[in-house]
Amino acid sequence: MSADVLAVDGITRRFGAVVANDQVTLRVRAGEVVGLLGHNGAGKTTLVSQVVGLLRPDAGTIRVGDIDAVADPAGARRRVALQAQAQAPINGLTPRTAIELAGRIRGLSPRRARAAAEELAAELDILPWIDQKALPDGGGLSGGVRRLTSFAMTVVAPTPLVVLDEPTNDIDASRRRRLWDAVRRIGDEGAGVLLVTHNVVEAERVVDELVVLDRGKVVAAGSPAALRGSQDTDLRLELQLHPGGADPSEVLDAVPVPVPRRVRPGRRVLLPAPAAQAAAAVAWATALREGGALDGYALAPATLEDAYLAVTTSEASDEAVTEEQSRA
Amino acid sequence: MPEATTTARPAAPPTAFVPARVGLWSSYRTLLRWQLGQAGSDLPMIVVIQALLAAGVVIGFGFLIPDISPESALFLSTGTPTVLLMVVGLTIVPQGVVRARTDGTFTYLRSLPVARPLLLLADLTVWLVVALPSVAVAVIVADLRYDLTLAFDWPLLIAASLLVTVTATAVGYAIAVTFAPMMAQVLSQVLVFFVMLFSPITFPASQLPGWFQSVHDVLPIRPAADLLRAGLVSGTYDASLRDLVVLVVWCVAGLALSTRALVRRA
Repeated sequence: MSADVLAVDGITRRFGAVVANDQVTLRVRAGEVVGLLGHNGAGKTTLVSQVVGLLRPDAGTIRVGDIDAVADPAGARRRVALQAQAQAPINGLTPRTAIELAGRIRGLSPRRARAAAEELAAELDILPWIDQKALPDGGGLSGGVRRLTSFAMTVVAPTPLVVLDEPTNDIDASRRRRLWDAVRRIGDEGAGVLLVTHNVVEAERVVDELVVLDRGKVVAAGSPAALRGSQDTDLRLELQLHPGGADPSEVLDAVPVPVPRRVRPGRRVLLPAPAAQAAAAVAWATALREGGALDGYALAPATLEDAYLAVTTSEASDEAVTEEQSRA
Repeated sequence: MPEATTTARPAAPPTAFVPARVGLWSSYRTLLRWQLGQAGSDLPMIVVIQALLAAGVVIGFGFLIPDISPESALFLSTGTPTVLLMVVGLTIVPQGVVRARTDGTFTYLRSLPVARPLLLLADLTVWLVVALPSVAVAVIVADLRYDLTLAFDWPLLIAASLLVTVTATAVGYAIAVTFAPMMAQVLSQVLVFFVMLFSPITFPASQLPGWFQSVHDVLPIRPAADLLRAGLVSGTYDASLRDLVVLVVWCVAGLALSTRALVRRA
């Protein structure tokens, strides 16, 4: 028996002319937290919707444990707990009741569901609100408490696969940390977790594996270290351009370090810099700044975010350039 | 997280994760608690609306008829429960369901590990609880105003009330899940006027042109009114088997369309 709790193979899903998922393949193994990263509209939620049987794929297979999720969506749903991006419908209920009901739906005994609600509320630090009713139109409970309640409702009963779609939206920094700890705990207890997020920096701390989706396609996959593409000792040179200023790294020969990739989010240009060549890079950037070609620069350790931006933004900008060239 | 930690982690014991099979009855009860909890805050409001609506129909429509005869008063009054049930089913239900569709509730519930038809069943149960008091509210208001002589046929009245409520709710639900949300909203508003002004509930069908009477022979509204009326004043009014058949057909169609929308994957 394979330890895959989720095996997505070559999933394609179109909405009219838009290909929301294009041959997506990914695995989540028991005990593993897999981050699914991507910009808005990258196709993350579409993929998740197919796993829980809300959408039917045009092509490809999805297995949840031993179940073919396309042929037997009801069987798959019993093995997946989803925290959707929309808030859970808990108006009129207290977090305690909502978590208990979610546990009962997944087969917990009344006593176990009651205990689990208390434990989770304590773990996520929402005990002060546990008996406060959520009211319509966002009253009664804050967005953050609602989101944490949704999370607790999702993980209240042990489920082989847990899918969390942007679970930290609306949540304050300290409780966000508690939530990440809980996610890690659930993985360590043996569930597979698919964590859908666009928050690269936070995801990096909890995930074992990452899959990056860009316009429906998997553009990168691997462990955070592998995805960073470089040793942890590698650095990143960030050039801050003047508004409307030219990018001095555009002429690659002018750059004193090898440039395997270049990312330009807004007025910033990110260049990887091998640690050994840090001095040369700084000297070059200092000269540029003194010459007035730059607003400023920074040298920092390379992060996953750089790698993420490299596989997502750079392609977009390349395409934009190609498009402009073809029009010209 | 370093790779080594991942590979060293022991595989989960598979037995710990055999998902529990929850019985249908247990799922239904849990869903019902969930839905009732959610509707709970709206319930008093809906009962107040029903009472106001009942007063509006019984008293307001009475003003339209100068020197109202006891027969007309009885006809008007015994039509009022149907007006209320139809307004709840065809207007309030679709608006609630459309809201659930647009705010993600619908999707959320569909992603739960329950047989999806149970979602409809739980919803229908809640709407029954919400709508059924209409019949009593309407009769009480009418009796206060006109001092009616009613002759209840209890089995018929109860059966008709249940059937009419389920039919109206199922059709309203089907409208909400079949049309685009905006369209469903508009349709549900238009239906209020159709029910209140263009349906032979509070006035006899004979006042309508012939072709419009035939339209109402296949719509569920007049048959619903006739059936309920026969339950309220048995002997004076009676309903036909044909009315029953028309209602049942609409009921089944509404349930089928609603279930399909809940079950099917886009």
